[in-house]
Amino acid sequence: MKKNNFSYTFLLGFLFVVLTDSAFATPVFNIEIRNHLFYPAELTIPVGTKVKLLINNTDASAEEFESYELNREKVIPGKSTGVVFIGPLKKGVYPFFGEFFPKTAQGSIHVD
Amino acid sequence: MLINAVIIILREVLEASLILGVLLALSQHNQVSKTWSLKAVLLGGLAAVMYAANLAMISALHEGVGQEILNAVLYVFIFTFILTIVYSLRDKQYSTVTVAAMFGCVALAVIREGSEIIVYIHGFSTIPDLFNPVLIGSSIGAGIGLSIGVFVYYFIVSLPFTYGVRSSFFVLVFIAGGMVSQATQMLLQADLISSELPIWDTSQLVSEQSIVGQILFAMMGYEATPILLQVVLYAASILLTGFFAIGSIKRSQQGHLF
Repeated sequence: MKKNNFSYTFLLGFLFVVLTDSAFATPVFNIEIRNHLFYPAELTIPVGTKVKLLINNTDASAEEFESYELNREKVIPGKSTGVVFIGPLKKGVYPFFGEFFPKTAQGSIHVD
Repeated sequence: MLINAVIIILREVLEASLILGVLLALSQHNQVSKTWSLKAVLLGGLAAVMYAANLAMISALHEGVGQEILNAVLYVFIFTFILTIVYSLRDKQYSTVTVAAMFGCVALAVIREGSEIIVYIHGFSTIPDLFNPVLIGSSIGAGIGLSIGVFVYYFIVSLPFTYGVRSSFFVLVFIAGGMVSQATQMLLQADLISSELPIWDTSQLVSEQSIVGQILFAMMGYEATPILLQVVLYAASILLTGFFAIGSIKRSQQGHLF
């Protein structure tokens, strides 16, 4: 009986891990770089959640996704996609920019 | 576009230039041949071209975080080489190790910073209107960055031996901390270290965007919003490098050294 209890607990624990893992899988947000602009330039993500940004640079030239507020910088070569994880973050607005074309490549992450 | 190019290239060049200046000055003070530096810059430059040419492929590795992993590895190695330099300078019998570590340190710094410069400039080759201003701006930025390195070199060399070595060690201790901080940052960005909320925010005091913030970043890896782990690793690396530095300086006073 005791042994059975143990296996049930184990099985439940295992199911819990599997289910929560899939339920709380990191949300993915897509950003596109086109003609040195970010699409979308404003993105809303949930408070206190880690998210994965997939940044697709469709330009021929490289761009560097950079944000002092988010502590992120990543070079994304032309015609390629870069992965950047951000968060968990407090409520607020976190600007980001393309370091190589900062005049046009501007955007912000809204954490709400 | 020109000003932007100046700033970007200056930032990249400054870090490598500072390391090179300090290590050349240490070589001069300790009468070590400086030929390692030329080899390091040439080999590092060559490797930087290869890194830049394969950046898209490297980035895609390990589910899109290959770039972060490689950069973190480079930072950790630079840190290890600085630690080795500071330790091995305590005894002349280690001079081969010192030179090898200086070579490694500069070569890796050139790969890290050089590859970004190449990717940046190369991107503009597809935009003819901007290519020339970017080249001019980059040259100016590189010129300023190298000048600062040259200034640091002559400044340290002009000091008497004891002060020259002490000030070099002082700069190296903080550069070492900065390397560990940046390695941590890369692993956070790649989600290989789980991120948390920052433990403090000094961006109102010294913004990372400001000139002071940028200089502090190049010299000691300044970070306005660090997480706890980053601060702990930073402090540990500074204490360890500082401990080795003090040990080496003490040995020199006993007349053992360099």
